[in-house]
Amino acid sequence: MAEVKGKKHKFKNSRCEENDAVWIAQEKFFPVYFLKKAGQLVLSLLVLSVLVFFISRLAPGEPLRAFYGDAVERMGPEQLAAARDRLGLDENLFVQYWNWLTGALTGDFGISFQYKQDVLSVVGKVSFNTLILTLVSFMLIFVLGLLLAVFCVMREDKAADRIIRRLGVAANSVPEFLAALLLMFIFSVSLGLLPSSGAYSIGQSGNIADRALHLVLPVAAIVFSHLWYCAYLMRNKLSDEIRKEYVLLCRVKGLSEREILFKHCLKNIMPAIVSIMAVFLPHLLGGTYIVEMVFSYPGLGTLGFESAQYHDYNMLMVIALITGFFVITANMLAQAVNEKLDPRMRYGERISVKAGGEGSE
Amino acid sequence: MNSQRCRIKRAKENERRIPYAAVLFLAVLTAGCLLAELIMPYDPTYMNLAAVSEAPSSSHLLGTDTLGRDIFSIIWYGGRISLFVALVATLISTIIAIVYGSIAGFSPRHLDEMLMRFSEILMSIPSILLVIFLQAILGEASVLSIAVVIGITGWMPVAKMVRSEVKQIRSSDYILAAQTMGGGFFYVLRRHLTPNFLSAIMFMVVTSIGSAIATEATLSFLGIGLPTNIISWGSLMSLSQGAILSGAWWLLLIPGTVLVTTIICITEIGEYLRTSGRRERLL
Repeated sequence: MAEVKGKKHKFKNSRCEENDAVWIAQEKFFPVYFLKKAGQLVLSLLVLSVLVFFISRLAPGEPLRAFYGDAVERMGPEQLAAARDRLGLDENLFVQYWNWLTGALTGDFGISFQYKQDVLSVVGKVSFNTLILTLVSFMLIFVLGLLLAVFCVMREDKAADRIIRRLGVAANSVPEFLAALLLMFIFSVSLGLLPSSGAYSIGQSGNIADRALHLVLPVAAIVFSHLWYCAYLMRNKLSDEIRKEYVLLCRVKGLSEREILFKHCLKNIMPAIVSIMAVFLPHLLGGTYIVEMVFSYPGLGTLGFESAQYHDYNMLMVIALITGFFVITANMLAQAVNEKLDPRMRYGERISVKAGGEGSE
Repeated sequence: MNSQRCRIKRAKENERRIPYAAVLFLAVLTAGCLLAELIMPYDPTYMNLAAVSEAPSSSHLLGTDTLGRDIFSIIWYGGRISLFVALVATLISTIIAIVYGSIAGFSPRHLDEMLMRFSEILMSIPSILLVIFLQAILGEASVLSIAVVIGITGWMPVAKMVRSEVKQIRSSDYILAAQTMGGGFFYVLRRHLTPNFLSAIMFMVVTSIGSAIATEATLSFLGIGLPTNIISWGSLMSLSQGAILSGAWWLLLIPGTVLVTTIICITEIGEYLRTSGRRERLL
């Protein structure tokens, strides 16, 4: 639903009287479409940056502590003032934001108070780790969720489906950190099979096998606690789909259940699945960040948590913006993919405007 | 065909059945937490240094934690805080969601569009990051501050639902009548709107109690929630990462089981509300 709604305002200005010509025009002027999307993205990120900036600056903590450590306590008032001046913390909030923004536009996101380096270089080092972790979990959840959904629908309301549903609800109720701890306890403390922390053993950062080994537990924890969220939504969609009339027609034609399910139903709910996965992304990222912290996996989550504790403002901003960027882009991508997959989506907008007058959902 | 219809009917009834087991569990849990003083064999705050990290035994039913506190007592006593935090957080988020959603539902199209966009932007950052930021602002966590933080980061999905419900009923005649007779926004909201969409959002509200419990536990576990001297399930679990490395499994499994069972029961009830609040299928 979220996606469908987000899409609306692309055609906010189109009147219902305008017909297919609008669509043809839209198709022709791909750059216009693209620019609109890009504008939306930039605007969203701008709002996000304002939000995060002011939220983090309202914090009462001492950012100088992150920079100077305990030395802060030994500094006199003049030294403190000089330090504030040097880090640009003495000006009023709006000026500070303006400075940040103009810097950011030229690619300078400031320095991390904690690491005393350019924020981007610190983030760059760990973002790859998070990317791998998220991507692997995302793919696994997508594939497993789809399989699980199909399996459940084929046996709807039989014992297997009911048991899976129960187990799914149970697994979904386990908070990420608990799942991570349980797995850590079983596989690394008790059985000693897998490493319990980090992204690679010391000095092995280039060793792919070693990295893969370190990925197993975090990925398992994420998949365990999030799989049902997706599988459940997909299952419900699919279960609604097989109740539609064309399924009966397919049956009459003599197609097997399997053929109908895979060739027709699954194809028809693809747009819905794309939307589900897009809505799911922020949940997944949140879960990833928590799991990272439990496994002390060097990624954006661990970094974000540290920087919130030490009031490392610039770092917080960049992490929030990166996360927001990915989520918003993913949502837009999902819309675009959906429009390609199902051209009705675009007409749907016009129809709803016509019928509801208000473009109500 | 007939047998299939029977099966569908049975499945429907199955879905609609009141989850007695879940209700019973929650009732026992709530009663136990409220009457904790009568049940607890030990003072939950007392740190018995002679009995640190003891496995479950007859003297300590569920063992002791790394500080020598009796886990059985903590479960009841700490449950009080955990449930309180979850309820307050849900109350806050629901109020924000109802007000925000109704304002958006009533506003002209562009304002509505803007408000919804804003809530979507908020939703685009994982709530755990928002919670961490806000908790950092409020400084040292207290029971109330953590409830507020969880509450003000979790209202967006419900607000969305409220908005679409309000949009559907706002042009009804009785609302127009109330407005013409001089009923203000909040009057209409209280008397006419809320009773109408309450059943539609109820399941989300109930489910969010469960996720608030989970969030509190997560925050306390990470060390930015309640400190260990304020006893809750989460603060008890914050000791568990160190404990499992030394093999004290009960410190992880026992509070974990209670936590997960509670959340499952809440989800079951939410699911029941969702299916029973839904309109009968027309086909």
